[in-house]
Amino acid sequence: MAKTLFEKIWDSHVVVDERNGRSLLYVDRHLVHEVTSPQAFDGLRMNKRKVRRTDLTFATMDHNVPTSNRSLPIVDQTSAVQIKTLERNCKEFGIELFDINSPNQGIVHVIGPELGITLPGTTIVCGDSHTSTHGAFGALAFGIGTSDVEHVLATQCILMEKPKTFEINVVGKRKNPHTITAKDIILSIIRQIGTAGGTGTAFEYRGETISDLSMEQRMTICNMSIEGGARAGIIAPDEKTFDYLRGRRYVPKNYDELVEYWKENLKTDSNARFDKSFTLRADEIAPQVSWGTNPAMTVDVTGKVPFPEEYAKGNAEEQKAAVKALQYMGLKSGTPITDIELDRIFIGSCTNSRLEDLIEASKVVNGKKISPKMRAMIVPGSQHVKKQAEEMGLDKIFKDAGFEWRESGCSMCLGMNPDILSAGERCASTSNRNFEGRQGAGGRTHLVSPVMAAAAAIYGHFVDVRELDLN
Amino acid sequence: MKGSVIKYERDNIDTDVILPGPYLKIHDYNELAKHAMEGIDKDFHKKVKPGDFIVAGKNFGCGSSREHAPIALSYSGIKAVLAISFARIFYRNAVDGAFLLPIEIEESAYRDISEKDDLDIDTSKNEIKNLTKNKIYQMKPFPELIGKIIAAGGLFNYKP
Ligand code: SF4
Repeated sequence: MAKTLFEKIWDSHVVVDERNGRSLLYVDRHLVHEVTSPQAFDGLRMNKRKVRRTDLTFATMDHNVPTSNRSLPIVDQTSAVQIKTLERNCKEFGIELFDINSPNQGIVHVIGPELGITLPGTTIVCGDSHTSTHGAFGALAFGIGTSDVEHVLATQCILMEKPKTFEINVVGKRKNPHTITAKDIILSIIRQIGTAGGTGTAFEYRGETISDLSMEQRMTICNMSIEGGARAGIIAPDEKTFDYLRGRRYVPKNYDELVEYWKENLKTDSNARFDKSFTLRADEIAPQVSWGTNPAMTVDVTGKVPFPEEYAKGNAEEQKAAVKALQYMGLKSGTPITDIELDRIFIGSCTNSRLEDLIEASKVVNGKKISPKMRAMIVPGSQHVKKQAEEMGLDKIFKDAGFEWRESGCSMCLGMNPDILSAGERCASTSNRNFEGRQGAGGRTHLVSPVMAAAAAIYGHFVDVRELDLN
Repeated sequence: MKGSVIKYERDNIDTDVILPGPYLKIHDYNELAKHAMEGIDKDFHKKVKPGDFIVAGKNFGCGSSREHAPIALSYSGIKAVLAISFARIFYRNAVDGAFLLPIEIEESAYRDISEKDDLDIDTSKNEIKNLTKNKIYQMKPFPELIGKIIAAGGLFNYKP
């Protein structure tokens, strides 16, 4: 029977097939971080269980680590305890940990691929919803909660309902890939299908535009699958995927043999059927800016803050949601997006904190200064990204312009560490969630691409990056 | 299972408002409970009583995979969330950890139920009685295996 890529990986990992589409799946890689793991380790201890496959389990600390000087002790005591707890748990259970001083430390979804832990055709889980990022490599990657983390630690298996398959086709050539980025593609998709559009499904992104993207851009796309409601997002691996991973620290020794196997097996059969399908024309899209409190509340940079009725198209609940969102965001319908002034800029998060993101943003910033009232921050996704960027002199470009250049971590993406917005502050952010209070209680988040955020830092308000000279 | 209703007339109630990020550092469940729903309802902790139900719209629990969200609700005393639909990770977390029952209801039931209504939920009959309004609604039955995990008292007690 013809199968999709998702179905092939699923089927090859089934340990026990239960009825009603629920299966016990084998997990190839388990990534652990400090926030969703403490209770799971407590559970193991209480029941005198061990970690079944320490060799397939990797841990790092990213969510609440400070992004300021790492040689100083952590001021926030509850953060310090959570970080110490992970250290203790990893030691006790024999798990490899990239701790706060490790050169491999970083956001879990940045370091997985970077270290070659993420591989095509594997199943990957992590106690974090953006685990979908790893799907960019043709892996089946799910975000899970703490009970499931405990279950995977103990059994290396996960009990799951089989998601339906959802094909997302992206076709057409972008007019300029430096200004219409992967972020604009995924925001456009979510804007059209809605935040629950993919509920109960796994996306497969395909089409010429997806093939055109670099690995880092593909990660940006897969990262936000969860924002469209999907359990996972996947892209069939190709030469770019194999080249990206070759020679990385944790890839298996028989890598080239594996590549041959992957080439044979990791693609959707030509006559396979998807349960759902959606097509986006990439040649028609503009840079995107979110105006509301969920990622589907997004418009073109050339657009205006919508009127609730215009946004809701007759749906009473959506209309109410839009009214609330506008109120929270402190925005008036009809305001041109480019008139929105900003207080803060955040370039970082597992969506957009990789080297390419920083290179693209630096081109906008090079030789300029940020707007005088602005506070702008660059938080590289990992220590490796930070080091590479520094070797290229990007840190200098950003610092000269007035940006803060920080240590790696999740930082202002979720406001767990001291990097937060104050109530009422407005931020252009390259992260993935503009939920109320996500970046700090009362903080107002506009989701954009790294180049859009960089340009807003310079001008003090949103600008259409297509109008800038980015040689 | 009887209790009274705390209603939020909105869709997409995300886990960042159910339990805001800064509290993810808290390890003690009862402490977590003090911050439940703080993102949209500062008074939740004061008004919630053991056995209460939350009623909300579509896509409840979207966003982050933090199990802290169902935990905070559970330790606040919430026994069930009744919503038109749930985001999948929240749904699983609620069931796997046996924190609360995620119950899917029809849009008409969602509209009909008001704040402070007293409900009596009988999951064996898939029935929700509104004692205040003297009405009966159907709940969507749990998928077979979800029902079994619930009956077992969570994922770790469930034996296939
Ligand atoms: S960067 Fe943000 S979205 Fe990504 S793992 Fe960290 S907190 Fe989650």
